[in-house]
Amino acid sequence: MVKKRYSVGAIAIVCAMFGFMVASPAWTADFPEKGKTVTLIIPQEAGGAPDVGGRLLASGLEKELGVPVVVVNKPGASTQIGLSQLVKSKPDGYTFAAVTFPTSLSYLDPKRKAGYDRKNFQPLGMHVLDANVIAVKYDSPYKSIKDLVAAAKKAPKTVTASVGVRNDDHFTALQFEKAAGIQFAHVTFPGGMAPALVQVVAGKIDVFCGNVGDMRSVVKNNQVRILGVLDDERSQFFPDAPTMEEQGYKIYMSSSRGYVLPAGTPKPVVDVLANAIKKVLSSDDHKKRIADMTLALRYMSPEQFGKHWEDFEAQIIELSKLIKD
Amino acid sequence: MEAVQNLLMGFSVALTPMNLLMAFVGSILGTLIGVLPGIGPAAGSAMLIPLTFSMDPTGAIIMLTALFYGTQYGGTITSVLLNVPGEAASVVTCLDGYQMAKQGRAGVALSVAAVGSFIGGTFATICLVFAAGPLSRWALEFGPVEFFSLLLLGISLLMGLAGKSMIKALMMGVFGLALAMVGTDPTKGVPRFTFGVMELLDGIGFIPIIMGLFGLAELLENAEKSLAQTVLAKMSSLIPTRQDVRDSAGAIVRGSLIGTALGLIPGITNSASSFLAYIAERKSSKHPERFGTGMIQGVAGPETANNAHANGALIPLFTLGIPASPTIAVIMGAFLMHGLIPGPFLFKEHPALAWGVIASFCIGNVMLLILNLPLIGMWVKVLKIPYGILCAVIMGFLILGSYSVSNSAFDILVMTIFGVIGYLLRKLEFPLAPVVLTLILGPMMERSLKQSLEISQGSFLIFLKSPLAVVFLVLTALVLLLPSLKFFRRSKEAISGEEPV
Repeated sequence: MVKKRYSVGAIAIVCAMFGFMVASPAWTADFPEKGKTVTLIIPQEAGGAPDVGGRLLASGLEKELGVPVVVVNKPGASTQIGLSQLVKSKPDGYTFAAVTFPTSLSYLDPKRKAGYDRKNFQPLGMHVLDANVIAVKYDSPYKSIKDLVAAAKKAPKTVTASVGVRNDDHFTALQFEKAAGIQFAHVTFPGGMAPALVQVVAGKIDVFCGNVGDMRSVVKNNQVRILGVLDDERSQFFPDAPTMEEQGYKIYMSSSRGYVLPAGTPKPVVDVLANAIKKVLSSDDHKKRIADMTLALRYMSPEQFGKHWEDFEAQIIELSKLIKD
Repeated sequence: MEAVQNLLMGFSVALTPMNLLMAFVGSILGTLIGVLPGIGPAAGSAMLIPLTFSMDPTGAIIMLTALFYGTQYGGTITSVLLNVPGEAASVVTCLDGYQMAKQGRAGVALSVAAVGSFIGGTFATICLVFAAGPLSRWALEFGPVEFFSLLLLGISLLMGLAGKSMIKALMMGVFGLALAMVGTDPTKGVPRFTFGVMELLDGIGFIPIIMGLFGLAELLENAEKSLAQTVLAKMSSLIPTRQDVRDSAGAIVRGSLIGTALGLIPGITNSASSFLAYIAERKSSKHPERFGTGMIQGVAGPETANNAHANGALIPLFTLGIPASPTIAVIMGAFLMHGLIPGPFLFKEHPALAWGVIASFCIGNVMLLILNLPLIGMWVKVLKIPYGILCAVIMGFLILGSYSVSNSAFDILVMTIFGVIGYLLRKLEFPLAPVVLTLILGPMMERSLKQSLEISQGSFLIFLKSPLAVVFLVLTALVLLLPSLKFFRRSKEAISGEEPV
């Protein structure tokens, strides 16, 4: 009996080994192959913060993986163009893409006909979490969130706030309005924060809804004051700026950037890439570069990033109900 | 006096061999990126930023800014020689520049454009040194309300672009506006006229449209002739005549002023600047009807304006630390990544760097001039290539250029379709300038109108509350009404038997 059990066990082990070899083709063992090229699709234009962050990662990955990592910008349609291409590409690890939330959640809007959703992606890791801020001109009469809420309550829809179209700035304003029971006059600035910031500095718009990453030069030059940060901790760059949580509003929003593969990429390949990304992001040189851009490095593993994505999606679905067409 | 001292200090920094080299490298790269159609200054500097990490910050910023304003020089070359705009800001140069090339005056057009570019860029730099403070305060006067009124004035000048037929010009203006409608609604985010095509969510690409309307349409038209023997221009003079100098001097002065002023205003693109300079030339000329046939003013004005714009747009970055446009935001990113924060504090904390970079603008512009003038002789030789061969090269250029804007094959399709449309429009003698004007101004106008009304919560009275806006609105009214007044006066005079003037 004992012998028999042994042989059953042996057969099971052999089977398992054989099965493992069949399930994982030989090439995954040596991903990435020498002579091949890894492509990083950046679904935004060259020159923006997501692009520069991605290029920094790519140059680090080249050393880590030992193969060329080529950055290709495929901008357009709120990252939909680039991400569609990723979804269609072969899930072999040689093509991955950057995502920016909530922009890349545009697939939640059925009108935009994205043709993919979260299930089409395999998370690789998170890179940067750029928390949102509520800011005003330096000499604004609103010295705190309290002043701002009081003024907005007194005369609804007269205090103007810069927003984007269904982006993190927009959701920041919507969340704040809901939490405080106020209403701003939304002034929409499609395509980037630069023009909105100019108008706030010029005093044409009262409230700037943007990100910590936009604030370095305007705060330094005494043009703008941060009233609240939508994060659970104070920003490393502006330790004097209170969070919204401290001021009684439990609201959180950010522009979160990470990397994804097409769904169905073999697990060993995902692991190789995810570990390489983790290594690059934890190097001192990379940390310094990202901090110079006023961006908060926040690495997350594929699993953590997947969870973050899920939560973000749920939050955006909830907040989108507040948008009136 | 203090400014002069600072500037001299800046020159002592910028004139070190290493920084001179950096300005030189930036200028060359800028010219090349300008010549290559499709790749603009933003993409060009973005690709270089990671390479500058190991460099000294001053040198890095000098190189990146030189690249940025250098592209404005290079863009002219393909516009004049091949009717293919290398850069959005050089579209308008096609109108008269290419005609000059056909008359064997390509060299003159390029020389005048280079000199104008130099003067425009230098003028804007001088403004940055001596009047940056007041100028940027003026720029901040422009909110959505003033912006909209200014654009309304710009678009009302459209009629000045009409050639033989006002009706046709207006039709083309509306055509351009209709094209500008395609995309996503700027405030609600709802797709408009996209027919479920994802590539249209951001609108139809501007560069592919103009490459089709100008470049490809020209190829198609030339294809009607026997290609084998055709040579675009047999001889070409390089040196402008005294008459050319006299004609372009005024245009360069006006271009410098227009470009610098508009460059300061956040949100105005340099293609709008060059177009408005073109209209200004036409309006101030004694022979507006000759524009489009190779008038040197039509090259000098816009080419000066786009360089003045490029350098002028850097003023708000230095004085306030705010980027006026996405392109300038890329430059600002370069500062930040080298641990420098643009704005007034930069002058206090790193005076050598700040003034060094500003001084390098002057040096860079001189370099670009020296670099570009001798090259003209070489560029012009391109026209001696038999057209049968040249047209294949141009076709390759067009395809490459429209693809490289956003690495999208869809844009090649757009370019091709607009090439056919452009060909038909030429055959029917519709003017192309109004389409381009409304394509440039239309989206900005719509956005600023919506923003103004969002501020006022729907009340149009907001346009009467801003003095600056009122001035623009009155000017618009004058522009629209004056021609009809003239018309009435003329008919009266005709009745009383006098010769109409």
